[in-house]
Amino acid sequence: MTWQTFLFLIVAGAAFGYSVYRFSLLFKLLKAQQGKAPVRWNEIPTRVIDSVIHVLGQKAVLQKKYIGTLHTIIFWGFIIITVGTLEQFASTLYQPFNFSFIGEGPYFYLLWIQDLFTFLILFAVAGAFYRRLVVRPEGLGQSRDANIVLTFTGSLMISILVMNGFHILSPIAASHADAFVVSKHVASWFAALGFSPETNENLGTFFKWVHMLLVMGFAAYIPHSKHLHIIAAGPNTFLRQLTREKGMRPINFEDESLTQYGAAKITDMSWKDSLDLYSCTECGRCQDLCPAWNTQKPLSPKLLVLGLKENLYRNKEAILAGKIDEVSPVIDENTTQDVIWACTSCRACEVACPVFIEQTDKIYDIRRNLVMMESSMPDGVQAVFKNMETNATPWAFSSADRGKWAEDLSVPTMAETPQIDLLLWVGCAGSYDDRNKKVLRSFVNILKKAGVRFAILGNEEQCTGDPARRIGNEYLYQTLAKANIETLNRYNVKKVVTACPHCFNTIKNEYKDFGGDYEVFHHSQFIAQLIRDGKVKPSKGVDETITFHDSCYLGRWNNVYEQPRAVIESIPSARLVEMKQHHDSALCCGAGGGRMFMEETIGKRINIARTEQALDTKAGVIASSCPFCMTMMTDGVKSKEMLDKVKVLDIAELIDQAT
Amino acid sequence: MNIYVCIKQVPDTETKIKLNADNTGIDTAGIKWIMSPFDEFAVEEALRLKEKNAGSTVTVVSAGPVRVVDTLRTALAMGADNAIHVDAPETADNYRVAKAIAAALKKEPKVDIVFTGKEAIDDGAAQVSQLIAEAVGIPYVTVVLNAEYSADSVKCRREVEGGAIEVVTTPLPALVAAQKGMNEPRYASLPNIMKAKKKEVKVLKESDLGVSDADQKIRYKNLQLPPPKQAGKKIAGDPATQAKELARLLHEEAKVI
Repeated sequence: MTWQTFLFLIVAGAAFGYSVYRFSLLFKLLKAQQGKAPVRWNEIPTRVIDSVIHVLGQKAVLQKKYIGTLHTIIFWGFIIITVGTLEQFASTLYQPFNFSFIGEGPYFYLLWIQDLFTFLILFAVAGAFYRRLVVRPEGLGQSRDANIVLTFTGSLMISILVMNGFHILSPIAASHADAFVVSKHVASWFAALGFSPETNENLGTFFKWVHMLLVMGFAAYIPHSKHLHIIAAGPNTFLRQLTREKGMRPINFEDESLTQYGAAKITDMSWKDSLDLYSCTECGRCQDLCPAWNTQKPLSPKLLVLGLKENLYRNKEAILAGKIDEVSPVIDENTTQDVIWACTSCRACEVACPVFIEQTDKIYDIRRNLVMMESSMPDGVQAVFKNMETNATPWAFSSADRGKWAEDLSVPTMAETPQIDLLLWVGCAGSYDDRNKKVLRSFVNILKKAGVRFAILGNEEQCTGDPARRIGNEYLYQTLAKANIETLNRYNVKKVVTACPHCFNTIKNEYKDFGGDYEVFHHSQFIAQLIRDGKVKPSKGVDETITFHDSCYLGRWNNVYEQPRAVIESIPSARLVEMKQHHDSALCCGAGGGRMFMEETIGKRINIARTEQALDTKAGVIASSCPFCMTMMTDGVKSKEMLDKVKVLDIAELIDQAT
Repeated sequence: MNIYVCIKQVPDTETKIKLNADNTGIDTAGIKWIMSPFDEFAVEEALRLKEKNAGSTVTVVSAGPVRVVDTLRTALAMGADNAIHVDAPETADNYRVAKAIAAALKKEPKVDIVFTGKEAIDDGAAQVSQLIAEAVGIPYVTVVLNAEYSADSVKCRREVEGGAIEVVTTPLPALVAAQKGMNEPRYASLPNIMKAKKKEVKVLKESDLGVSDADQKIRYKNLQLPPPKQAGKKIAGDPATQAKELARLLHEEAKVI
């Protein structure tokens, strides 16, 4: 045993021992979570392939070209160089060891590619530093942690190059000196120093130790750092929500052992939520797209995650000691009620996240506790709940008037005509809101022109419960959902169409959990199909430039982007133009997540921000496919005093006019 | 403190009122029932008073057919401890209800304070609270905007005509009738809703309370809905012509001048 072996065992034992200890604490913290995690151990082959694509293939990371490329270089370089680091460790324990047993040829290329990536990583680190310190993207923020991580990474690479440079000039220079395509240039500079071969060997050994100590220091540092993502992000990707469609997790109110609904404390969340927190790399892609953050509200999905992580760490002693009673509330100086209520549940954060963190789940969990356990909610929401409880609509209208909008349209109800092809789910906005009643009339016209046999539920329809659910009142949601499912199943309904993306999402993705399984279409999908089948023929031209505003619950929550655009483009002489933000990056109108029913008192109004983007396109028509978006965009255009120049129309109205 | 709240179940504010077949009352089919909103202020005030005085209990009392138990449970879910259902017919009038509730209160071991709404939103009679207080024999303060409580008295700020505020202090026990704005009624938390489902509601029959049909003072013979609103008229022309035409219409058509 040489002095090097001896020293290595002590130092490496201490550093890695400490690192493992810190990781084990993080693991124990994760296991101590009490909330129910989503069950995602299904579809293993799909998950494996998906993980290969997103982890090894870096697909999600590469959504951003510049930093994605740099990250991919560092990621792959890290794996390749770790092989060399292992060899280095092994040879320190037992000097003759190396990987040449894989064959001289492969070993040559292993050394070659390691040397090349050492340089490439250094280059990527320089690029990352340039971005952080010079370009300074807003979403990234200033982070000491990030600078330390980059410094570690850069120093590791420099130490390797210097080590190789000296070793090439030493007596132990391997027979593979030619493999060191980059280091040999370093060696040629060192040669100019004129040191003896023995001095070069000693300097090489010195920098090998510099490198090894840096590796150990980094290993000890990672558990405290955002660099933790190198451990957590892989499993988090494997366990991600595979489909776009995602229902909120139901609470089983029959379960009498449940005494806590939602998250009052960080420990009320699930281990998957903790894995999300560990996975965050603070890249800020979520924040860049967040409608709340971009209109000066206190919510940033990134800061939410960091705040929850801080809360978790702050409570680690109580949690690890099993003293859950002593854990502080999840609402704290970082995660305030204003943060939690600012969310429109547009899901731009989740879709943008390269490591598949699910921010909305955490907001929903915290809202559930505030509403159901603490009866704490923004002004006006209580009245919304009461309306939903008594009249099954968030607005103050009588349930006896729900079917009134269709009285002069000779649309049958299910009670009158149970033999139909399709149920038209009207929704509360279509039933009671004057502007949206017109949208429904247009859609009814289209269905009639296409000869579709359809009916409505009339006064038997109730609010789907979506606003209650998104605000956190799962109990009220389930009451309404179960009543609707009972009605739909009683009429043996198979196919449902609706002009409201919120109803669409709820009936399609969330009623399943309560025994409601239907084929559900949004009217954009249904109209697009009617046009494709030639049952509806837009023949009258609409000589307008039209910009389409994506609804979050249609686009991001259900990946329906093309059908509404196809509908618009089917109109002769209509020209579709996109706003600055569209598809997955589209800006919310501000009404989702129950925000439709809350005052917007902080910052700029989101609907104004979105209307400005629409007006920037110079389009004469803003096309919408959602009643809430319709209200918000119309209000926006009104505020901008542009109603005489720009019309806000639903796609059904456009097609009704064109046929 | 032993706190009591008298509440009434009324049709939801969005209800389209229809008359029954013989025009002696409203058709209750399909009606959604809620707690009269003024009574919500009363319940909330009682709960806040209880929270400030450890060891207090809040008991809610409601008279009517068996469906009023739902509204009693709403109050229990808000946080009330006990509920008494005074089983009275649908048609019971203000006097009969007040007499029954007063008798129920007198059966209780000790009453420190009684809260009610200032009126119910269905008949808007604003009778029952005072009638109860008279029958029990305690002072009452109505249309109360806020109240300060001490161990043996209550100081109330009440709304009087002309927008003035009257300050009244009365010894306890007393009855306080809440006006809108007295507080912000809470939304029942889910654990309380669950607990409320299991709580027992005490039922008292009119016969237990010495009340009978003979106490009915009002009998409705023939109710009519107000005539549907006519479309408005717009008078055109210059101001002088408009004024002249308006005067003519008020005189000849409306016959008010």
